[in-house]
Amino acid sequence: MQHQSLRRRLGTLAGAALVLVTVMVLSPLPLSAHHGWGGYMDAEFEISGTVETPVSVAGPHASMKIKADDGHVWDVVLAPPFRTEQAGLKEGIIPVGAKITAHGHRHRDAKKFEIKTERVTWNGKVFNVYPDRS
Amino acid sequence: MHDFMMWMQTSALGHFMRESGPWTYAIVNLSHILGVASMFGALVILDLRLMGVWSRTPLAALAEAAAPVAAFGFALAATSGIGLLATKATEYIGNPFLYIKFPAVAIGVVNALVLNFSPAWRARGTRELSQRENRQLAWMGGTSLACWLTAMGAGRMIAYW
Repeated sequence: MQHQSLRRRLGTLAGAALVLVTVMVLSPLPLSAHHGWGGYMDAEFEISGTVETPVSVAGPHASMKIKADDGHVWDVVLAPPFRTEQAGLKEGIIPVGAKITAHGHRHRDAKKFEIKTERVTWNGKVFNVYPDRS
Repeated sequence: MHDFMMWMQTSALGHFMRESGPWTYAIVNLSHILGVASMFGALVILDLRLMGVWSRTPLAALAEAAAPVAAFGFALAATSGIGLLATKATEYIGNPFLYIKFPAVAIGVVNALVLNFSPAWRARGTRELSQRENRQLAWMGGTSLACWLTAMGAGRMIAYW
């Protein structure tokens, strides 16, 4: 008797979970297919500046900071450490003071000077950290 | 605060987290999640039992399994968490979620110690507990759930500040 009712309860729970998942999947809400890109503007954006803080591949994302022509220090967010290094952008390659251009997407918050970067250009060399996006 | 964070960041641990390879942070992060998952999974069952759920299952039996798992999970989470913090400690100054998470962890730990030394908990399995004792256990179970849910929620939100 107990065994039967437990199975029924599990069945109800499984059914509820299935309904919930189906509703979520068919939801008309626009689900961003981009992992982590949702907080950034859709338009392509680029910013140039001189390197203030050189490339660091300390997780979870590699990063660097540049002083742009607008006077602000921009956070240049790169790809996760492994993929950033695979693109050739290892630590110590681009020196402090070097002029670089970051191409990607600007943070949606206008008060934040942050770019989620797809590629970095330095001295004519392009470091493509998100090759499937550019 | 800044001095302490700078000290953490420039420590040998900080250097190790940043300079030992591209997968280090990811692995330490994974360990942190495994520790949290083990700890919270065990505590959900144990704390609900303290609050009276599954009253037919003897507390002593349940605790014998759940308590060590929770303790091990906490040890793993705390150790790996220090590594995660040391990676970029100064960048976390001003992040409000840290000021919620660490007090919640502290209260959770104190609550666990109080439970551990309480006569009611120590008497589990040896004798029938009084109504008052069961209420004490229930309160500590509820506090535990509240603290660790808060700690986990705030912990997850740190990255989104």
